[in-house]
Amino acid sequence: MKGKTTMTVIIGLICVVLVSVMFMQFKTISRIDITALENMQEKDLRNEINTSKTKYEDKVKELEDINLKIAEFNENADNNRKISELLTNELDQLKALAGLKSVSGSGVVVRLEDRQNSKVYANNLLELVNELKLAGAEAISINGERIVYDSYISDVGGEFITINGERIVSPYEVKAIGNPTYLESGLSKKQYGYIDKQKIEYNITVTLERKNNITINEYTGDLNFKSARSINS
Amino acid sequence: MKRSKVAIVLGIVCFILTIAICVQMKTIQDAEKEVGKTYSGNDKLRDEVLSVRENYNNVLKELEKAESELNQIRSQAVANNEGNAEKEEQIKQINELLGYTDVKGSGVIIKLDDNRDVAQDEVLNISDFIVHDGDLRAIVNELFNIGADAISINGQRIVSATGIICDGNIIRVNGEMIGVPITIKAIGFPEVLYYQMIRTGGYLEVLKNAGVIVEIEQSNEITINKYTGVYLHDYIN
Repeated sequence: MKGKTTMTVIIGLICVVLVSVMFMQFKTISRIDITALENMQEKDLRNEINTSKTKYEDKVKELEDINLKIAEFNENADNNRKISELLTNELDQLKALAGLKSVSGSGVVVRLEDRQNSKVYANNLLELVNELKLAGAEAISINGERIVYDSYISDVGGEFITINGERIVSPYEVKAIGNPTYLESGLSKKQYGYIDKQKIEYNITVTLERKNNITINEYTGDLNFKSARSINS
Repeated sequence: MKRSKVAIVLGIVCFILTIAICVQMKTIQDAEKEVGKTYSGNDKLRDEVLSVRENYNNVLKELEKAESELNQIRSQAVANNEGNAEKEEQIKQINELLGYTDVKGSGVIIKLDDNRDVAQDEVLNISDFIVHDGDLRAIVNELFNIGADAISINGQRIVSATGIICDGNIIRVNGEMIGVPITIKAIGFPEVLYYQMIRTGGYLEVLKNAGVIVEIEQSNEITINKYTGVYLHDYIN
């Protein structure tokens, strides 16, 4: 009788120990799953390194540009005519970036057209402009209207589209200056790229053409802050 | 007889438990082999991210110094010539339009957030309750349409080169990651911006009706940071 009780107790203890060990192991496994999650971030880390490197290189280039300008001003400090020339160059460059000067260069021309049962809407053009910017477009115009920082594109009563407040109608010709290879491949990704998406989702035909000499005119509207004020640093 | 039956049952239970433990041990070993390798690799990657970022911050500081030096030298150079002074003034003005200065003024602040109170199986399309990149593009477009001077999204200044894109589960503005809650600041005439944005049929109403959390308020003191990215100019002449 006594032996039976002892045996049961011993076996019970063994079971408890075994079950505890199992639970401990379960815990270890769930912890490893978390580190596996971190493992999945490797791609993100590599992405982050690449984007940061690009940003760094861009800024280094900008710094070189500025140091060059400083050197030029220093060299010609006493020469009013030369200073005037330097200022004109700088102004022209800034105007080109802001859209206040006509520019030319290589890039792509994208054409969209209304069809009987499918119209081009403002959003189709808005998406296109966004895609072109992401692909590195340096200047963009739609039917001659230059895209500037505060440009907007909207549908008016389903009848026509306005851009910068000006009416435009189909066919739409979107010009973009930038690296033609990047611009084209940016829009031409299979299925999910802009061009395929327009075909599949909206039944709109989009054609793209690379061109070596595109001219984009300056913005003709008024580009000024109406109420914002710069904080001088 | 009864006693041996109990012993057999207990024996089987012990056997099963032991096998289970062995299986688990093997799993852990395999997992550690796999994870351990790439995990230490990730540490290297993390270090690299940090060092690249440090380089970037350093060049940013240098750049700021160089910029103020250039401004100073330019001011000195134009001091004795009226025509040149006028050009300098224009340069400053265009730099403002390019987003190269912090700006302040009155306007509106819009806050957007995913609606997390809805469960995935309760609704037809959970995607309706989440803020998407297209929503941000539409709101920026509307704000400029009604006369905003300057806009930022979670601190990222919107300039002519800004792209807004969805990258997996996150949104990128100017290439920087943006997460919810999203704060859009816009400088302009506060009442115009406010009442135009909340109008019936406006995009904010569409978003709200879809299920996204939307707030908007007027403010007299909005500061919008300058653009920290670059403008590409390799192809334009």
